[in-house]
Amino acid sequence: MIKAGQIDKGTALLIKGQPFICVEREFVNPGKGSAFVRLKLKSPATGQVLRETMKTQDNAEDITVEDRDCQYLYNDGEHFHFMMTETYEQIEVPMSTFEDYQFIMKEGETYRVTFWEHQPLDIQVPTKVVYEVAEAEEAIKGDTVTGATKTVVTDTGLSVRVPIFIKQGERILVNTETKEYIERVNR
Amino acid sequence: MNITAIEQRSTLMRNMRHWFSESDYLEVDTPLLSTHLIPEPTIANFATWYLSEFHGSRELYLVPSPEVFMKQIIAETGRSVYQFSHCFRNREQIGSHHNPEFTMLEYYTVGADEVDSIAITEELLAKTRLPDTPEHLLPPFRRMRMAEAISTFAGFDLDATQSINALRSEAIRLGLTLPDHPESWEETFNRIFLNCVEPELPQDKPLVLTEYPKQIDCLATQTPGRPYRRRWELYAGGVELANCYDEQRNRETVAAYYRDQYAQLSSERAYTAEVIPDIDQSFIDLFDHFPPCSGVALGFDRLLMLQGGYKTIGDLILFSFSAMMADGR
Repeated sequence: MIKAGQIDKGTALLIKGQPFICVEREFVNPGKGSAFVRLKLKSPATGQVLRETMKTQDNAEDITVEDRDCQYLYNDGEHFHFMMTETYEQIEVPMSTFEDYQFIMKEGETYRVTFWEHQPLDIQVPTKVVYEVAEAEEAIKGDTVTGATKTVVTDTGLSVRVPIFIKQGERILVNTETKEYIERVNR
Repeated sequence: MNITAIEQRSTLMRNMRHWFSESDYLEVDTPLLSTHLIPEPTIANFATWYLSEFHGSRELYLVPSPEVFMKQIIAETGRSVYQFSHCFRNREQIGSHHNPEFTMLEYYTVGADEVDSIAITEELLAKTRLPDTPEHLLPPFRRMRMAEAISTFAGFDLDATQSINALRSEAIRLGLTLPDHPESWEETFNRIFLNCVEPELPQDKPLVLTEYPKQIDCLATQTPGRPYRRRWELYAGGVELANCYDEQRNRETVAAYYRDQYAQLSSERAYTAEVIPDIDQSFIDLFDHFPPCSGVALGFDRLLMLQGGYKTIGDLILFSFSAMMADGR
Protein backbone atom coordinates (compact mmCIF):
# COMPACT_ATOMS: atom_id res chain seq x y z
CA MET A 1 0.00 0.00 0.00
CA ILE A 2 1.10 3.53 -0.68
CA LYS A 3 -0.49 6.90 -0.03
CA ALA A 4 -2.17 8.45 -3.07
CA GLY A 5 0.09 11.48 -2.58
CA GLN A 6 3.13 9.29 -3.34
CA ILE A 7 1.80 8.14 -6.70
CA ASP A 8 3.86 9.58 -9.53
CA LYS A 9 3.95 9.30 -13.29
CA GLY A 10 4.93 5.70 -14.02
CA THR A 11 3.70 4.27 -10.68
CA ALA A 12 1.98 0.91 -11.24
CA LEU A 13 -1.22 0.26 -9.29
CA LEU A 14 -3.63 -2.64 -8.97
CA ILE A 15 -7.24 -1.50 -9.33
CA LYS A 16 -9.97 -4.14 -9.06
CA GLY A 17 -7.38 -6.79 -9.91
CA GLN A 18 -6.14 -4.99 -13.05
CA PRO A 19 -2.75 -3.32 -13.39
CA PHE A 20 -2.81 0.37 -14.27
CA ILE A 21 0.03 2.82 -14.92
CA CYS A 22 -0.21 6.41 -13.81
CA VAL A 23 0.30 8.59 -16.89
CA GLU A 24 -0.62 11.98 -15.44
CA ARG A 25 -0.67 13.35 -11.94
CA GLU A 26 -1.60 16.75 -10.64
CA PHE A 27 -2.14 17.96 -7.10
CA VAL A 28 -5.19 20.07 -6.45
CA ASN A 29 -6.34 21.96 -3.39
CA PRO A 30 -10.02 22.65 -3.80
CA GLY A 31 -10.25 26.26 -2.60
CA LYS A 32 -8.49 26.25 0.77
CA GLY A 33 -9.35 22.56 1.26
CA SER A 34 -7.05 19.64 2.02
CA ALA A 35 -4.82 18.23 -0.69
CA PHE A 36 -6.11 15.95 -3.42
CA VAL A 37 -4.29 14.32 -6.29
CA ARG A 38 -5.82 14.02 -9.74
CA LEU A 39 -4.67 10.89 -11.55
CA LYS A 40 -4.97 9.67 -15.09
CA LEU A 41 -4.39 5.91 -15.13
CA LYS A 42 -4.08 3.66 -18.13
CA SER A 43 -4.48 -0.08 -18.43
CA PRO A 44 -1.60 -1.40 -20.56
CA ALA A 45 -3.64 -4.46 -21.52
CA THR A 46 -6.77 -2.73 -22.79
CA GLY A 47 -5.80 0.92 -23.14
CA GLN A 48 -8.70 1.79 -20.82
CA VAL A 49 -8.28 5.17 -19.16
CA LEU A 50 -9.38 5.87 -15.60
CA ARG A 51 -9.56 9.33 -14.12
CA GLU A 52 -9.56 9.35 -10.38
CA THR A 53 -9.17 12.11 -7.83
CA MET A 54 -8.10 10.91 -4.40
CA LYS A 55 -7.12 12.54 -1.14
CA THR A 56 -3.35 12.44 -0.80
CA GLN A 57 -3.83 10.47 2.45
CA ASP A 58 -5.97 7.75 0.80
CA ASN A 59 -4.42 4.31 0.40
CA ALA A 60 -3.72 2.80 -3.00
CA GLU A 61 -2.47 -0.68 -3.88
CA ASP A 62 0.86 -0.47 -5.66
CA ILE A 63 2.56 -3.40 -7.38
CA THR A 64 6.19 -4.35 -7.71
CA VAL A 65 7.44 -4.01 -11.23
CA GLU A 66 10.70 -4.78 -12.97
CA ASP A 67 12.48 -2.82 -15.70
CA ARG A 68 14.23 -4.66 -18.56
CA ASP A 69 16.17 -3.44 -21.59
CA CYS A 70 14.31 -4.21 -24.79
CA GLN A 71 15.24 -3.46 -28.38
CA TYR A 72 12.42 -2.03 -30.48
CA LEU A 73 12.19 -4.01 -33.71
CA TYR A 74 9.09 -2.88 -35.63
CA ASN A 75 5.33 -2.49 -35.42
CA ASP A 76 2.71 -4.39 -37.40
CA GLY A 77 -0.02 -1.77 -36.99
CA GLU A 78 -1.41 -3.46 -33.88
CA HIS A 79 1.59 -4.35 -31.77
CA PHE A 80 5.06 -3.06 -31.09
CA HIS A 81 7.56 -5.90 -31.30
CA PHE A 82 10.50 -5.82 -28.92
CA MET A 83 13.36 -8.19 -28.15
CA MET A 84 14.64 -8.47 -24.60
CA THR A 85 18.35 -7.84 -24.92
CA GLU A 86 19.32 -10.30 -22.17
CA THR A 87 17.30 -13.33 -23.27
CA TYR A 88 16.59 -12.55 -26.96
CA GLU A 89 12.97 -13.35 -26.14
CA GLN A 90 10.49 -11.41 -28.28
CA ILE A 91 7.52 -9.60 -26.79
CA GLU A 92 4.49 -7.70 -28.12
CA VAL A 93 3.01 -4.53 -26.68
CA PRO A 94 -0.42 -3.36 -27.89
CA MET A 95 -0.01 -0.08 -29.80
CA SER A 96 -3.40 1.24 -28.63
CA THR A 97 -1.98 1.79 -25.15
CA PHE A 98 0.88 3.94 -26.39
CA GLU A 99 -0.84 5.98 -29.06
CA ASP A 100 1.91 8.15 -30.45
CA TYR A 101 4.92 6.01 -29.52
CA GLN A 102 5.19 4.79 -33.11
CA PHE A 103 6.31 8.30 -33.99
CA ILE A 104 8.75 8.78 -31.13
CA MET A 105 10.47 5.37 -30.87
CA LYS A 106 13.27 4.49 -33.26
CA GLU A 107 13.62 1.02 -34.73
CA GLY A 108 16.75 -0.72 -33.45
CA GLU A 109 16.93 1.51 -30.36
CA THR A 110 16.87 -0.01 -26.85
CA TYR A 111 14.28 1.19 -24.32
CA ARG A 112 13.53 0.30 -20.71
CA VAL A 113 10.28 -1.65 -20.55
CA THR A 114 8.44 -2.08 -17.25
CA PHE A 115 7.08 -5.57 -16.54
CA TRP A 116 4.66 -6.90 -13.95
CA GLU A 117 4.45 -10.68 -13.77
CA HIS A 118 5.84 -10.99 -17.34
CA GLN A 119 3.27 -8.51 -18.63
CA PRO A 120 4.76 -5.36 -20.24
CA LEU A 121 3.18 -2.32 -18.59
CA ASP A 122 5.17 0.69 -19.70
CA ILE A 123 7.78 1.79 -22.22
CA GLN A 124 10.16 4.47 -21.03
CA VAL A 125 11.17 6.93 -23.74
CA PRO A 126 13.67 9.64 -22.74
CA THR A 127 12.07 13.09 -22.43
CA LYS A 128 14.56 14.65 -24.83
CA VAL A 129 15.41 12.82 -28.06
CA VAL A 130 17.37 13.86 -31.15
CA TYR A 131 15.61 13.23 -34.48
CA GLU A 132 16.62 13.80 -38.07
CA VAL A 133 14.34 16.04 -40.14
CA ALA A 134 13.07 13.89 -43.02
CA GLU A 135 10.66 16.36 -44.62
CA ALA A 136 10.82 20.13 -44.46
CA GLU A 137 9.51 22.85 -46.72
CA GLU A 138 11.95 25.55 -47.74
CA ALA A 139 11.42 28.77 -45.83
CA ILE A 140 9.65 31.38 -47.91
CA LYS A 141 12.09 34.11 -48.92
CA GLY A 142 11.57 37.38 -47.16
CA ASP A 143 9.70 35.77 -44.29
CA THR A 144 11.81 37.18 -41.50
CA VAL A 145 9.16 37.65 -38.82
CA THR A 146 10.70 36.67 -35.48
CA GLY A 147 9.18 33.55 -34.02
CA ALA A 148 7.77 32.34 -37.36
CA THR A 149 7.42 28.54 -37.43
CA LYS A 150 6.67 25.72 -39.84
CA THR A 151 5.91 22.02 -39.47
CA VAL A 152 8.52 19.38 -40.30
CA VAL A 153 8.35 15.59 -40.16
CA THR A 154 11.09 13.57 -38.45
CA ASP A 155 12.62 10.29 -39.62
CA THR A 156 10.19 8.54 -37.24
CA GLY A 157 7.15 10.28 -38.75
CA LEU A 158 6.61 12.79 -35.93
CA SER A 159 5.28 16.23 -36.92
CA VAL A 160 6.97 19.06 -35.02
CA ARG A 161 6.59 22.85 -35.15
CA VAL A 162 10.08 24.31 -35.62
CA PRO A 163 11.60 27.70 -36.42
CA ILE A 164 11.71 28.37 -40.16
CA PHE A 165 15.52 28.09 -40.40
CA ILE A 166 15.43 24.28 -39.84
CA LYS A 167 16.28 22.39 -43.05
CA GLN A 168 15.77 18.82 -44.25
CA GLY A 169 18.56 16.51 -43.03
CA GLU A 170 19.30 18.60 -39.94
CA ARG A 171 19.01 17.15 -36.48
CA ILE A 172 16.69 18.59 -33.83
CA LEU A 173 16.15 17.96 -30.12
CA VAL A 174 12.48 17.32 -29.28
CA ASN A 175 10.59 16.99 -26.01
CA THR A 176 8.84 13.63 -26.43
CA GLU A 177 6.16 14.43 -23.84
CA THR A 178 4.97 17.69 -25.37
CA LYS A 179 6.20 16.89 -28.91
CA GLU A 180 7.75 20.33 -28.93
CA TYR A 181 10.97 21.47 -30.56
CA ILE A 182 13.75 22.36 -28.11
CA GLU A 183 16.79 23.22 -30.22
CA ARG A 184 18.84 22.46 -33.33
CA VAL A 185 21.64 19.98 -32.73
CA ASN A 186 24.96 20.84 -34.33
CA ARG A 187 26.85 18.02 -35.89
CA MET B 1 14.46 32.75 -21.68
CA ASN B 2 11.05 33.63 -23.10
CA ILE B 3 11.32 37.33 -24.02
CA THR B 4 7.68 37.41 -25.19
CA ALA B 5 6.51 36.22 -21.77
CA ILE B 6 8.53 38.96 -20.05
CA GLU B 7 6.89 41.57 -22.29
CA GLN B 8 3.40 40.11 -21.85
CA ARG B 9 3.77 40.14 -18.06
CA SER B 10 4.85 43.75 -18.18
CA THR B 11 1.95 44.73 -20.47
CA LEU B 12 -0.73 42.97 -18.45
CA MET B 13 0.55 44.44 -15.17
CA ARG B 14 0.73 47.93 -16.66
CA ASN B 15 -2.83 47.62 -18.06
CA MET B 16 -4.12 46.42 -14.71
CA ARG B 17 -2.34 49.13 -12.72
CA HIS B 18 -3.87 51.70 -15.05
CA TRP B 19 -7.36 50.23 -14.61
CA PHE B 20 -7.08 50.07 -10.81
CA SER B 21 -5.74 53.61 -10.63
CA GLU B 22 -8.58 54.92 -12.84
CA SER B 23 -11.05 53.05 -10.62
CA ASP B 24 -9.68 54.72 -7.48
CA TYR B 25 -7.97 51.73 -5.87
CA LEU B 26 -4.85 52.32 -3.79
CA GLU B 27 -1.89 50.16 -4.74
CA VAL B 28 -0.16 48.78 -1.65
CA ASP B 29 3.11 46.97 -1.12
CA THR B 30 3.14 44.80 2.00
CA PRO B 31 5.94 42.65 3.48
CA LEU B 32 6.80 39.23 2.12
CA LEU B 33 8.80 38.38 5.23
CA SER B 34 6.74 38.41 8.41
CA THR B 35 7.08 37.67 12.12
CA HIS B 36 3.54 36.25 12.27
CA LEU B 37 1.04 34.54 9.96
CA ILE B 38 -2.65 33.81 10.16
CA PRO B 39 -3.34 30.09 10.76
CA GLU B 40 -4.14 28.21 7.54
CA PRO B 41 -3.87 24.45 8.15
CA THR B 42 -4.00 23.51 4.46
CA ILE B 43 -1.04 25.71 3.49
CA ALA B 44 2.47 24.57 4.43
CA ASN B 45 4.74 27.50 5.23
CA PHE B 46 8.30 28.53 4.52
CA ALA B 47 10.30 29.64 7.56
CA THR B 48 13.71 31.22 7.84
CA TRP B 49 15.80 32.89 10.55
CA TYR B 50 16.52 36.52 11.27
CA LEU B 51 19.91 36.62 12.97
CA SER B 52 20.65 39.60 15.16
CA GLU B 53 23.09 40.35 17.94
CA PHE B 54 21.04 43.41 18.86
CA HIS B 55 17.41 42.30 18.86
CA GLY B 56 17.71 38.57 19.44
CA SER B 57 17.33 36.04 16.63
CA ARG B 58 13.92 34.81 15.65
CA GLU B 59 12.00 32.76 13.14
CA LEU B 60 10.38 34.59 10.22
CA TYR B 61 7.91 33.41 7.59
CA LEU B 62 7.40 34.03 3.89
CA VAL B 63 3.77 35.06 3.45
CA PRO B 64 1.39 32.62 1.71
CA SER B 65 -0.82 35.62 0.83
CA PRO B 66 -0.88 39.36 1.60
CA GLU B 67 -4.43 39.15 3.03
CA VAL B 68 -3.83 40.11 6.64
CA PHE B 69 -1.69 43.15 5.82
CA MET B 70 -4.12 44.37 3.20
CA LYS B 71 -7.05 44.07 5.59
CA GLN B 72 -5.17 46.21 8.13
CA ILE B 73 -4.70 48.92 5.49
CA ILE B 74 -8.41 48.75 4.60
CA ALA B 75 -9.35 49.10 8.27
CA GLU B 76 -7.03 52.12 8.64
CA THR B 77 -7.87 53.92 5.39
CA GLY B 78 -11.38 52.73 4.54
CA ARG B 79 -10.19 52.54 0.91
CA SER B 80 -10.28 49.93 -1.83
CA VAL B 81 -6.80 48.45 -2.30
CA TYR B 82 -4.95 46.12 -4.64
CA GLN B 83 -1.56 44.48 -4.80
CA PHE B 84 0.56 42.24 -6.99
CA SER B 85 2.22 40.13 -4.33
CA HIS B 86 4.61 37.24 -4.46
CA CYS B 87 3.21 34.39 -2.37
CA PHE B 88 5.01 31.38 -0.97
CA ARG B 89 3.48 27.98 -0.38
CA ASN B 90 5.55 25.06 0.74
CA ARG B 91 4.88 21.46 -0.37
CA GLU B 92 3.29 22.93 -3.49
CA GLN B 93 3.70 20.66 -6.46
CA ILE B 94 5.96 22.01 -9.15
CA GLY B 95 3.60 21.49 -12.05
CA SER B 96 1.64 22.95 -14.90
CA HIS B 97 -0.41 25.23 -12.63
CA HIS B 98 1.74 25.42 -9.52
CA ASN B 99 5.04 26.88 -8.37
CA PRO B 100 6.03 27.28 -4.69
CA GLU B 101 6.49 31.00 -5.37
CA PHE B 102 3.89 32.72 -7.52
CA THR B 103 2.31 36.11 -8.15
CA MET B 104 -1.12 36.82 -6.76
CA LEU B 105 -3.26 39.79 -7.68
CA GLU B 106 -5.38 40.58 -4.66
CA TYR B 107 -8.01 43.35 -4.69
CA TYR B 108 -10.53 44.44 -2.10
CA THR B 109 -13.43 46.71 -3.01
CA VAL B 110 -14.90 48.67 -0.12
CA GLY B 111 -18.69 48.95 -0.18
CA ALA B 112 -19.01 46.05 -2.62
CA ASP B 113 -20.26 42.52 -2.04
CA GLU B 114 -19.35 39.31 -3.87
CA VAL B 115 -21.98 39.89 -6.57
CA ASP B 116 -20.54 43.35 -7.32
CA SER B 117 -17.11 41.72 -7.51
CA ILE B 118 -18.24 39.56 -10.43
CA ALA B 119 -18.97 42.67 -12.51
CA ILE B 120 -15.76 44.34 -11.29
CA THR B 121 -13.70 41.32 -12.30
CA GLU B 122 -15.44 41.13 -15.69
CA GLU B 123 -14.59 44.76 -16.37
CA LEU B 124 -11.02 44.35 -15.14
CA LEU B 125 -10.35 41.36 -17.40
CA ALA B 126 -12.14 42.89 -20.39
CA LYS B 127 -10.30 46.22 -20.17
CA THR B 128 -6.81 44.93 -19.45
CA ARG B 129 -6.57 41.80 -21.59
CA LEU B 130 -3.63 41.00 -23.80
CA PRO B 131 -4.30 41.24 -27.53
CA ASP B 132 -5.09 37.81 -29.05
CA THR B 133 -6.72 36.47 -25.88
CA PRO B 134 -9.17 33.77 -27.07
CA GLU B 135 -12.89 34.63 -26.72
CA HIS B 136 -13.63 31.69 -24.42
CA LEU B 137 -11.34 33.23 -21.80
CA LEU B 138 -12.97 36.65 -21.86
CA PRO B 139 -16.05 38.14 -20.16
CA PRO B 140 -19.00 37.96 -19.90
CA PHE B 141 -18.73 35.14 -17.37
CA ARG B 142 -21.23 32.34 -17.06
CA ARG B 143 -22.74 32.13 -13.58
CA MET B 144 -23.71 28.90 -11.87
CA ARG B 145 -24.65 28.19 -8.28
CA MET B 146 -22.88 25.24 -6.65
CA ALA B 147 -26.24 23.55 -5.97
CA GLU B 148 -27.03 23.83 -9.70
CA ALA B 149 -23.65 22.34 -10.65
CA ILE B 150 -24.14 19.45 -8.20
CA SER B 151 -27.65 18.78 -9.48
CA THR B 152 -26.51 18.87 -13.13
CA PHE B 153 -23.29 16.86 -12.89
CA ALA B 154 -23.71 14.73 -9.77
CA GLY B 155 -27.49 14.32 -9.89
CA PHE B 156 -28.57 15.17 -6.37
CA ASP B 157 -30.15 17.98 -4.38
CA LEU B 158 -27.47 19.70 -2.32
CA ASP B 159 -29.99 21.56 -0.13
CA ALA B 160 -31.38 18.20 0.96
CA THR B 161 -27.96 16.60 1.50
CA GLN B 162 -26.78 18.41 4.59
CA SER B 163 -26.03 15.39 6.78
CA ILE B 164 -22.82 13.42 6.43
CA ASN B 165 -24.75 10.16 6.01
CA ALA B 166 -26.85 11.53 3.15
CA LEU B 167 -23.73 12.85 1.44
CA ARG B 168 -21.87 9.55 1.89
CA SER B 169 -24.78 7.69 0.27
CA GLU B 170 -24.58 9.99 -2.75
CA ALA B 171 -20.81 9.49 -3.02
CA ILE B 172 -21.26 5.71 -2.95
CA ARG B 173 -24.09 5.91 -5.51
CA LEU B 174 -21.68 7.86 -7.76
CA GLY B 175 -19.18 4.98 -7.49
CA LEU B 176 -16.58 6.82 -5.44
CA THR B 177 -14.30 4.93 -3.08
CA LEU B 178 -14.53 6.25 0.46
CA PRO B 179 -12.06 5.46 3.22
CA ASP B 180 -13.15 3.15 6.03
CA HIS B 181 -12.54 5.80 8.66
CA PRO B 182 -15.09 8.58 9.08
CA GLU B 183 -14.39 11.84 7.29
CA SER B 184 -15.90 15.29 7.41
CA TRP B 185 -18.77 16.53 5.24
CA GLU B 186 -16.31 18.87 3.54
CA GLU B 187 -13.91 16.04 2.62
CA THR B 188 -16.63 13.88 1.09
CA PHE B 189 -18.05 16.91 -0.70
CA ASN B 190 -14.62 17.67 -2.19
CA ARG B 191 -14.35 14.08 -3.46
CA ILE B 192 -17.70 14.43 -5.24
CA PHE B 193 -16.89 17.90 -6.56
CA LEU B 194 -13.43 16.99 -7.89
CA ASN B 195 -14.43 13.64 -9.41
CA CYS B 196 -17.86 14.38 -10.84
CA VAL B 197 -18.37 18.14 -11.11
CA GLU B 198 -15.20 20.14 -11.73
CA PRO B 199 -14.06 18.16 -14.83
CA GLU B 200 -17.54 18.65 -16.38
CA LEU B 201 -17.87 22.41 -15.86
CA PRO B 202 -18.55 24.19 -19.17
CA GLN B 203 -15.48 25.85 -20.69
CA ASP B 204 -17.02 27.83 -23.56
CA LYS B 205 -16.85 30.96 -21.36
CA PRO B 206 -15.24 31.71 -17.99
CA LEU B 207 -17.46 30.34 -15.23
CA VAL B 208 -18.21 31.90 -11.87
CA LEU B 209 -19.26 29.15 -9.49
CA THR B 210 -21.18 30.81 -6.64
CA GLU B 211 -22.58 29.89 -3.22
CA TYR B 212 -20.17 27.37 -1.71
CA PRO B 213 -21.50 25.04 1.01
CA LYS B 214 -21.40 26.55 4.49
CA GLN B 215 -19.60 23.44 5.78
CA ILE B 216 -16.48 24.62 3.92
CA ASP B 217 -15.39 26.97 6.64
CA CYS B 218 -13.83 30.26 5.55
CA LEU B 219 -14.07 34.00 6.09
CA ALA B 220 -16.94 34.46 3.62
CA THR B 221 -20.26 35.48 5.15
CA GLN B 222 -23.22 33.08 5.06
CA THR B 223 -26.23 33.44 2.78
CA PRO B 224 -29.16 34.33 5.08
CA GLY B 225 -31.43 31.37 5.75
CA ARG B 226 -29.67 28.96 3.38
CA PRO B 227 -26.74 26.58 3.93
CA TYR B 228 -24.25 28.42 1.72
CA ARG B 229 -21.53 31.04 1.84
CA ARG B 230 -21.23 34.22 -0.19
CA ARG B 231 -18.15 33.05 -2.03
CA TRP B 232 -17.33 32.31 -5.64
CA GLU B 233 -14.53 30.81 -7.67
CA LEU B 234 -13.73 31.75 -11.23
CA TYR B 235 -12.77 29.02 -13.70
CA ALA B 236 -11.38 29.83 -17.13
CA GLY B 237 -10.21 27.25 -19.65
CA GLY B 238 -10.68 24.61 -16.93
CA VAL B 239 -8.23 26.40 -14.63
CA GLU B 240 -9.15 27.69 -11.17
CA LEU B 241 -8.28 31.35 -11.57
CA ALA B 242 -9.75 33.42 -8.73
CA ASN B 243 -11.53 33.18 -5.41
CA CYS B 244 -13.84 35.82 -3.96
CA TYR B 245 -15.54 36.39 -0.60
CA ASP B 246 -18.06 38.74 0.79
CA GLU B 247 -15.65 39.39 3.66
CA GLN B 248 -16.61 38.40 7.18
CA ARG B 249 -16.48 41.48 9.46
CA ASN B 250 -17.82 40.17 12.73
CA ARG B 251 -14.94 40.21 15.22
CA GLU B 252 -16.21 37.26 17.27
CA THR B 253 -16.85 35.11 14.18
CA VAL B 254 -13.38 35.82 12.80
CA ALA B 255 -11.78 35.17 16.21
CA ALA B 256 -13.60 31.84 16.55
CA TYR B 257 -12.63 30.86 13.00
CA TYR B 258 -8.94 31.53 13.65
CA ARG B 259 -9.08 29.67 16.99
CA ASP B 260 -10.45 26.60 15.17
CA GLN B 261 -7.93 26.92 12.35
CA TYR B 262 -5.03 27.25 14.78
CA ALA B 263 -6.21 24.27 16.83
CA GLN B 264 -6.37 22.17 13.68
CA LEU B 265 -3.00 23.41 12.41
CA SER B 266 -1.16 22.85 15.68
CA SER B 267 -2.63 19.38 16.25
CA GLU B 268 -1.87 18.27 12.69
CA ARG B 269 1.65 19.66 12.68
CA ALA B 270 2.68 18.61 16.21
CA TYR B 271 5.43 15.96 16.06
CA THR B 272 6.05 16.67 12.36
CA ALA B 273 8.72 18.75 10.66
CA GLU B 274 6.07 21.23 9.47
CA VAL B 275 6.41 24.87 10.42
CA ILE B 276 3.98 26.02 13.12
CA PRO B 277 3.97 29.79 12.61
CA ASP B 278 3.59 32.36 15.38
CA ILE B 279 0.16 33.94 15.37
CA ASP B 280 -0.36 37.61 16.19
CA GLN B 281 -3.54 37.75 18.29
CA SER B 282 -3.78 41.53 18.00
CA PHE B 283 -4.64 41.64 14.29
CA ILE B 284 -8.17 40.65 15.25
CA ASP B 285 -8.54 44.24 16.50
CA LEU B 286 -8.78 45.47 12.92
CA PHE B 287 -12.30 44.01 12.79
CA ASP B 288 -13.46 46.67 15.25
CA HIS B 289 -13.68 49.06 12.30
CA PHE B 290 -13.55 46.95 9.16
CA PRO B 291 -15.83 48.29 6.40
CA PRO B 292 -18.13 46.08 4.29
CA CYS B 293 -16.02 44.84 1.40
CA SER B 294 -15.42 42.04 -1.04
CA GLY B 295 -11.98 40.58 -1.74
CA VAL B 296 -10.72 38.72 -4.78
CA ALA B 297 -7.48 36.72 -5.01
CA LEU B 298 -6.50 36.02 -8.61
CA GLY B 299 -3.60 33.85 -9.73
CA PHE B 300 -1.75 36.30 -11.94
CA ASP B 301 0.62 33.73 -13.47
CA ARG B 302 -2.33 31.52 -14.39
CA LEU B 303 -4.11 34.46 -16.03
CA LEU B 304 -0.99 35.24 -18.02
CA MET B 305 -0.69 31.57 -18.97
CA LEU B 306 -4.26 31.53 -20.31
CA GLN B 307 -4.18 34.89 -22.09
CA GLY B 308 -0.74 34.27 -23.58
CA GLY B 309 -1.70 30.78 -24.78
CA TYR B 310 0.87 28.93 -22.65
CA LYS B 311 0.38 25.35 -21.50
CA THR B 312 2.13 25.63 -18.14
CA ILE B 313 3.08 28.43 -15.79
CA GLY B 314 6.65 27.14 -16.04
CA ASP B 315 6.63 28.58 -19.59
CA LEU B 316 6.15 32.12 -18.32
CA ILE B 317 7.41 32.35 -14.74
CA LEU B 318 10.94 33.65 -15.07
CA PHE B 319 13.39 31.32 -13.36
CA SER B 320 10.66 28.87 -12.33
CA PHE B 321 11.42 26.07 -9.90
CA SER B 322 10.92 23.50 -12.65
CA ALA B 323 13.57 25.20 -14.81
CA MET B 324 15.97 25.64 -11.89
CA MET B 325 15.58 22.03 -10.81
CA ALA B 326 15.88 20.65 -14.34
CA ASP B 327 19.29 22.31 -14.55
CA GLY B 328 20.33 20.27 -11.53
CA ARG B 329 20.67 23.30 -9.30
